[in-house]
Amino acid sequence: MTNHSLLKLAWQQTLAANRLPIWRALLLALTVAISIATLLAVLGDRLEQSLGRQTAELLGADMTLRSGRPIDPAIAERARSLGLETSGVIQFPTMIEAGDNLLLISLRVVEAPYPLRGKIVTQPTLPHLPEPGTLWAEPSVLERLNLKVGDQIELGYTTFTVAAQLTSTPDRGNGFSTFSPQVIINRQDLTATKLLGVGSRARYRQLFAGEPQALKQLEARIRASMASDERLITLDNSNNNINSSALNNASRYLRLGALLTLLISALTIALSLRRYTLNSRDRAAVLLSLGMTARQLQILFLLQLLLAWVACALVGTGIALLLEQFALVLLSDLLPQPVPLAQPVFYGLGALLGLVSLITLGLPPMVAMSQVSVMYLFRRTAAPTTLGGRVLQLVAGVLLTGLLMLYLEDLQLTLILIGALLITAWVLGKFGAWLLRISAFALAGKHTLVRLLRLRIQQQQRWHRMQIPVISLLLALMAISLWARSDLMERWQNQLPDDAPNHFLINIQPHERDGVDQVLDNYQLNSSLYPMIRGRISALNGEPVATAFTPEQRQHNALNRELNLSWTSEMPGHNRLVAGRWSPQADGDTAYISVEQAFANTLGLKLGDTLSFTVGSFPVDGVITSVRAVQWESFQPNFYVIFTPGALDNMPMSYITSFHAEGEQRKVAAALLQRFPTITLIDIDQLLAQARSLIGKLSDTSGMVMLLTLLAGLILVFTTLSQELDQRRYENALLHTLGATPQQCRQLDLLEFALLGLVCGGLAAALGEIALWFIHQRLVLIEPVLHPSNWVLLPLTATALFTLTGLLARRRVDESNSYRLLRTLS
Amino acid sequence: MNGPVSEIILSAQDVAKRFDTQAGTLELFSNISLQIQRGETVAITGPSGAGKSTLLSLLAGLDLATEGSITIAGQATHQLDEKARAELRSRHISFVFQTFHLLPELNALENVILPLEIRGTTDAPDKARSWLQQVGLGERLDHHPAELSGGEQQRVAIARAFATEPDLLFADEPTGNLDEHTGEAIIEQLFQLNRDQNTTLVLITHDNHLAARCDRRLHLHNGELKERRTAGALHD
Ligand SMILES: Nc1ncnc2c1ncn2[C@@H]1O[C@H](COP(=O)(O)OP(=O)(O)O)[C@@H](O)[C@H]1O
Ligand SMILES: [Mg+2]
Repeated sequence: MTNHSLLKLAWQQTLAANRLPIWRALLLALTVAISIATLLAVLGDRLEQSLGRQTAELLGADMTLRSGRPIDPAIAERARSLGLETSGVIQFPTMIEAGDNLLLISLRVVEAPYPLRGKIVTQPTLPHLPEPGTLWAEPSVLERLNLKVGDQIELGYTTFTVAAQLTSTPDRGNGFSTFSPQVIINRQDLTATKLLGVGSRARYRQLFAGEPQALKQLEARIRASMASDERLITLDNSNNNINSSALNNASRYLRLGALLTLLISALTIALSLRRYTLNSRDRAAVLLSLGMTARQLQILFLLQLLLAWVACALVGTGIALLLEQFALVLLSDLLPQPVPLAQPVFYGLGALLGLVSLITLGLPPMVAMSQVSVMYLFRRTAAPTTLGGRVLQLVAGVLLTGLLMLYLEDLQLTLILIGALLITAWVLGKFGAWLLRISAFALAGKHTLVRLLRLRIQQQQRWHRMQIPVISLLLALMAISLWARSDLMERWQNQLPDDAPNHFLINIQPHERDGVDQVLDNYQLNSSLYPMIRGRISALNGEPVATAFTPEQRQHNALNRELNLSWTSEMPGHNRLVAGRWSPQADGDTAYISVEQAFANTLGLKLGDTLSFTVGSFPVDGVITSVRAVQWESFQPNFYVIFTPGALDNMPMSYITSFHAEGEQRKVAAALLQRFPTITLIDIDQLLAQARSLIGKLSDTSGMVMLLTLLAGLILVFTTLSQELDQRRYENALLHTLGATPQQCRQLDLLEFALLGLVCGGLAAALGEIALWFIHQRLVLIEPVLHPSNWVLLPLTATALFTLTGLLARRRVDESNSYRLLRTLS
Repeated sequence: MNGPVSEIILSAQDVAKRFDTQAGTLELFSNISLQIQRGETVAITGPSGAGKSTLLSLLAGLDLATEGSITIAGQATHQLDEKARAELRSRHISFVFQTFHLLPELNALENVILPLEIRGTTDAPDKARSWLQQVGLGERLDHHPAELSGGEQQRVAIARAFATEPDLLFADEPTGNLDEHTGEAIIEQLFQLNRDQNTTLVLITHDNHLAARCDRRLHLHNGELKERRTAGALHD
C-alpha cells in the first residue's frame, strides 16, 4: 500500500472519527493541554524577559549602577575617560497635586544624554528629554488627576507644564517604583522644586553605554569598591536582578497550576484513546481481513493521531496566543512596556508537548488494537490486553512524567507533586466511593429506584473513583483561590483598628516641623513626629560587620542598607518593652539604644552590646539597654533602633509621622501640601486600593488558567461517562424489558449524578476549609473562619456539572438505544 | 476453466480443536478431514454453537488447529508464523461477512478499491469499477454504505471480496442479515461470480435451500463433520 493511499485512508478515517463524541473529547482534551502549555510557556518567558532578564532596551543602557546614596562623580568621570556614555538618574516617590486630587507618584529626574539605549516614546512625539519647566507623565497620572497635555501642575515649589504623555520608556527603575505611575522631569529643575530633602527616599542610578571592552573595564573597577547596598546590573548577568527570584517562584507556581491541567488532559487522552481503539477493533479486523499488515495498521492509526495533532496544535496554539494577549492587557500596568516577544521555541513548546504525549499515550492501545484477529469478526471474543500493552503503558507513564519534569524544569517538585496528587486522588476516590455507597444505603426504601441505584453505583465504581477526585479537587482549587483572595483583602482591612493611621507623612524638614504640627492640630489630628536619620551598622562590640556576624546574619536587610534611626526620650506608645529598661537619656557621652525584638534575635544582639553606626560619614555608638516588640502592621512609624536624645544631633535629619484622617479631615492633605510642597504624603487607602487591583489582576490571570483546568476536568468526566456506554445501554435495555419507562431510566441517571455531585461538592468544601484554614493560620496570619456558602454552592455546582456532562454523554445512548432494542426484538 | 486435473486448493487432515475454559477443556471437534478442489462450492451447515465459525477460521488460516494439519494452496498453516499466514491469506483468501463490514466513511467504489490499494494493484479504480458493475452497482459508485440497502451493501462486500481475485472465498452466513428474497439474489450473484472466476467458495449457512445449491454440503454436529449429497452435486 502506498504512503499516499495510507494517508488518504487515515484522512477519511479521521474525518469519520470527528463525528464520534469520544474522539471529540480526545481532540478537546489535547487542545486544552496544548493551549495551557503554550500559554504558560510563552507568557512565562515574556514575563521573565520583561522583569527578570535585562535587555539594553529595557535598561536604557548597557550597564547600570544602582545605589541608595548619590553616586560618586568620579565613577562618571572614569566612564567618560574610557569613552563610555553615561548619565545619572534620581528617582523617588513624591506627591503631585492638581486641583483637589493628590497622587503619590514616582518621580524620575534625568539629564542628557538619556536614555542611552532604547527610546522614550511620547505623545506628542518629543525629543529625548523634557525641556526645563515641563514634565512628561504616564497616562495613569493624567487619568487620575484629570489632566491633559498642556495643563499645569505643582511639583514641590515649581509649576510644570505637562508637555507629553509617556507611552513607553526604558529604565523604569526597580521595586516599588515600577508599579507606581511615573513622571519624568529634567535635572535642571530639581533644585528649584526642593523635593530632594534628607527624608526623601531617593534612589540613584548611573547608566553606562558603549564599547564592551570599556564596559568590562569599568565594571571591574566599580565592583572593586562597591558598597553592599549597591547593585550593578549588566546585560549578561540577570541574577543581579532583585525581581528574578520572585519571578522564578511566580512562574514555577503558574507551571504547577498547568501540571494539574496537563495530568487531567493526559488521563482524558488515555481514556478516550482506550475507548476509541476498543470501538475500532471491528475496523482493524476488517482491514486485516482485506490484507493489511499489523504494521500498516499501526501506521494508519498513527497517521490519524498525527492529523488530529496538527489540528489541535493549530487551534490550541491559537487559543494560547489569544489568552496571552488578554493576560498581557490585564497585566499591562505591572509590566514595563513594550513587553519583549517570547523566544520562538516557546511558541512551539505546547504543540511539541502535545505530540509527545499523544504518541506515548496512543501507542499502547494502538498496538493492542493492531493485534486483533480477523476471527473477531466471526466470534466476539474480547481481544486480550497483551503483555506488550501493559509494558508500553508503563513506559508511557514514565515517559510522560519525564516530559512534565522537563517542561516544569523541576525534577523533585514534579515528582513530589505527582506523587501527592496521586495519593490524594486515591484517598479521595476510595473515600468518595464509600460515601456514595453509604448514602445509597441510607436512601434504601425511600424510592423504588434506589435498588437499581445501588447496582449502578456498584457497576460504575471504577469510574466514580476517577470522577470524584478530579471534580472535588478542581472545585476545591477554584474555591480556595477565590476565597483566599477575598478573605485576605477583606479581613486584612477589618483587622486594623478603625483609627489605625491611614496616612504617612515623610520628608518633613526640621524647619517645617512646628508648622506641620500646627496644621495637624488645626484638623484635630494628634500624632507625634519622629525624627529620622539614615545610618548604617558598622560594628558590633568593636568588631566590624564582616566578622561580627555569621554569613547568614549578614544576609539580613539591616546589614545591607541604611537603616532608619530615630531618637526619643519616651518609648512610643504602640511599642512594648520585652527586655531591659527604657533609657530616657544618655549617660554623659554614652548613648543608649533600644532595639526591635525580631531584629535583635536575628542578629544575636544582647543587652549591653555596643552597636556602631555610620551616619553620613560620622561614627555613632549606642549601648543596648532595651528590646521592644513592634507591631509592624500597625501603620505607625516604627524603627529597628531608637537612640536616647542628643547622640544624633546636628546630623542631616527629617521627620516622619502617621495619622488617621477621615471625612473633612482628609482635606489636611491639600492644606499640608499647600504650605509644604516638598513633603511626601502616602495615602494608605490609595496604596491598598492599588494593591487590591494588583492582586485582582494577578488572580484574574490565574483564573484564566483555572478555567482551562476546569474545562479539562469536565472533558475527563465526559470521557469517563462515555466509557461504559455499552454497560449503561445494556442496563437501560434491561430496565425497559422489565417495564421501566424511559423517564425512570433518566431518573436513575439523575439520581446517580446528584449523589455524585453531593459527594464531590462536599469533599471539595471540606478540602477547601482545610486548605483555607492552613493558609489563614500559617501564611497570611488572619483568624480562620468557615465558609458556609461553599457547603451549599459546591455540591450544587458539582451536581450541575455532572448532570450537564451526563446529558451530553447520554444523548448518544438514547439514540443508539432504540436502534439496538429494535434489533434485539426483531 | 476447470482443468482435467483437479487441484486440491484446501485440505484438512485429522484436525481437532480444543479450548481451555474455566469449566475444563472443551473439544469442539476432532478427526476432521476434508479436501476441497479448486472451483468447488462447499456449504458448512450445523446447529448454532457446533463450531462452524471456528472451523472456518482454521480453514482460512486465521487460527491454528490443536491437532492435525491444514494446507492452503499447498502450504501447511501450522508451519507458518503469524506474519507468513497473513501473507498467505492476503494472496489467496477473501472473506464475506454476515454484517457486511464495509468502512462507513468510504463510498462503494473506495471500499472496493481499498484491498486493491493495500496490495498495490495498478489501475485499482478501473478494476473496482468493473467489479461493482458486475454486481449491478455501476450506478451507485459514490454512495456510502449508509445510503445502500442491506443487499446492496453485501453486493459491495462481494465485489470487494472478488476484486483481489482470490483462490478461496470464505463466507460466514452471508445472507444471515438479509430477507429471503434479497438473500436469494445475493447467493445467485455469489455463485455466478464463483463460476466465472473459478474461485473456491466455502460458506457457512443455516439456509438448507442455499446449502443444497452448493456442490458439496458438510454437516457439523456433535464434533463430527459429515458429508451429505446435494442437488448441486447432482448437476455435475
Ligand atoms: N476462544 C474460545 N474459547 C472458548 N470457547 C470458545 C472459543 N471460541 C469459541 N468457543 C466456543 O466454541 C463454540 C462454537 O463456536 P462457533 O464456532 O462460533 O459456533 P457456530 O459458528 O457453529 O455457531 C461456542 O460454544 C463457543 O462458545
Ligand atoms: Mg458462527
